[in-house]
Amino acid sequence: MSYSVLSTPLLSILATTTSDKMVSPNLTQVGYSALLVLISIAISRFWKLPVAKDMAIGSVRTFAQLVAVGYALKIIFDIDSAWLIALVLIIMTLVGAHAASGSVREIRKSFPILFLAMSIGSLITIGLMSLLVIPFQASYIIPLGGMIISNSMNAAALSLTRLGADLSQQKLAVESALALGKTWQVATRSIVRESARTGMISILNFMKTVGIVALPGAMTGMILAGAEPLDAVYLQIIVAYMLLMAVTLTSIIAVAIAIRRFFTSYHQLIETDN
Amino acid sequence: MSEQAPLLSLNSLSREIKKRKILDNISFDFLAGKTYTIIGPSGAGKSSLLRLINRLDEPTDGTVLLNGKPAREYKPEHLRCQIGFLFQTPHLFEKTISDNLLFANRSLSIDEQKHLLEIVQINASRLHEPVPKLSVGEKQRVALARLLATKPLVALLDEPTSALDPSITEAIEQTIKEIINLTNLTVIMVTHNPDQALRMGGESLLLVDGKLIETGHVEHVINNPSTQLGRQYRSRDLL
Repeated sequence: MSYSVLSTPLLSILATTTSDKMVSPNLTQVGYSALLVLISIAISRFWKLPVAKDMAIGSVRTFAQLVAVGYALKIIFDIDSAWLIALVLIIMTLVGAHAASGSVREIRKSFPILFLAMSIGSLITIGLMSLLVIPFQASYIIPLGGMIISNSMNAAALSLTRLGADLSQQKLAVESALALGKTWQVATRSIVRESARTGMISILNFMKTVGIVALPGAMTGMILAGAEPLDAVYLQIIVAYMLLMAVTLTSIIAVAIAIRRFFTSYHQLIETDN
Repeated sequence: MSEQAPLLSLNSLSREIKKRKILDNISFDFLAGKTYTIIGPSGAGKSSLLRLINRLDEPTDGTVLLNGKPAREYKPEHLRCQIGFLFQTPHLFEKTISDNLLFANRSLSIDEQKHLLEIVQINASRLHEPVPKLSVGEKQRVALARLLATKPLVALLDEPTSALDPSITEAIEQTIKEIINLTNLTVIMVTHNPDQALRMGGESLLLVDGKLIETGHVEHVINNPSTQLGRQYRSRDLL
């Protein structure tokens, strides 16, 4: 497998994670951390909050799902096949698109739109990254791909929710423009822009406050694993830029595809009472 | 004497939504420069009919002809510029009155914009006034001027005074009448109010349950209907 020369600095950053300072918790320590769950359940019961059952189920699921993923990742990283990486990314995108389609109530049958937008947005970002910065290896592509796909999922879901809501609420504005002989593209220009922007708000806010309000996940993970803070920062900057591109592409593509569902070829607004 | 060719014809127009007939086999010819009111009880399909005429909605059956040419053969942008539509509640776009007129027709000069404002009885000096400052009645007047900005042959007015204070209603009616006098515009106005239809004059179409029940001079349709449903409407049984 050939790597770009630009991948060398990142490889050196990631290599530091195997330092002596690396935190490597075992199952006993995980068991101790379960005490925190018990305390949370006890507090919620004392306050009679109806969440104890959800907490218990959530904690068991967290354990079971993550352990299963841990074993699965180990196998995938060991095999390290391009086909397997592609398959995992496709499954992640399918599951993400399915989950997002459940939250987009404003647009019926949004799954294909979400899947297409997330696939294109993620594929281009991962493709560019693997050409320029990241080696195309399962241990790099899958975790970073997961971040890209989950952020794309949220962005696409927010954009489509906003699009459906705005078209429903601003029906009079859209039809006033159509009635003046404007095309649906002109009549919906501001709605389309706002919807796409809505998907990007989260990453834009993150980039404005990163490092000040909170230390982001990838960076925290590397620091906990014993990496030098500056190395962790470089990786986090790369991740942030990567997410920005994925989210931008996915939001725009999702809105650009979905908006067509709302109009006939004769520029008539189709009723949006889904 | 040769008969005037219709400007706008509705041929067997029907619309069905979820297997319910909203409009059933409507046929009528509208002549250039005339005023028409569409009256009928609520839910009769009056606004639905207007929406089919400039194809904001699609008929399930039948055709609309403008100058003898099927509406389907016009590009929607061209059709809707020739058949303007005024909604019950005016929606103005952001910024100024001038921006709204230019949105409808980018090639309007300042003088043309001022002339349009004079037609709808708004002082021309207010051309650059921000739209949020306008009252609902003024917004409806600006929406009317914006409709005229595309130089339409037909104006479809969907209950243009229903969102307005009764004190402004007659003033807007007067403005519409003056527009008709000044231009050769064909006006088709929907109203739920028979008195308003009488004040507007011209011809009237009575719709009941999506069917065209009566047509003719408005006085005849309202005061001397020839059908049972027409008489029920006159006696307010259908209101």
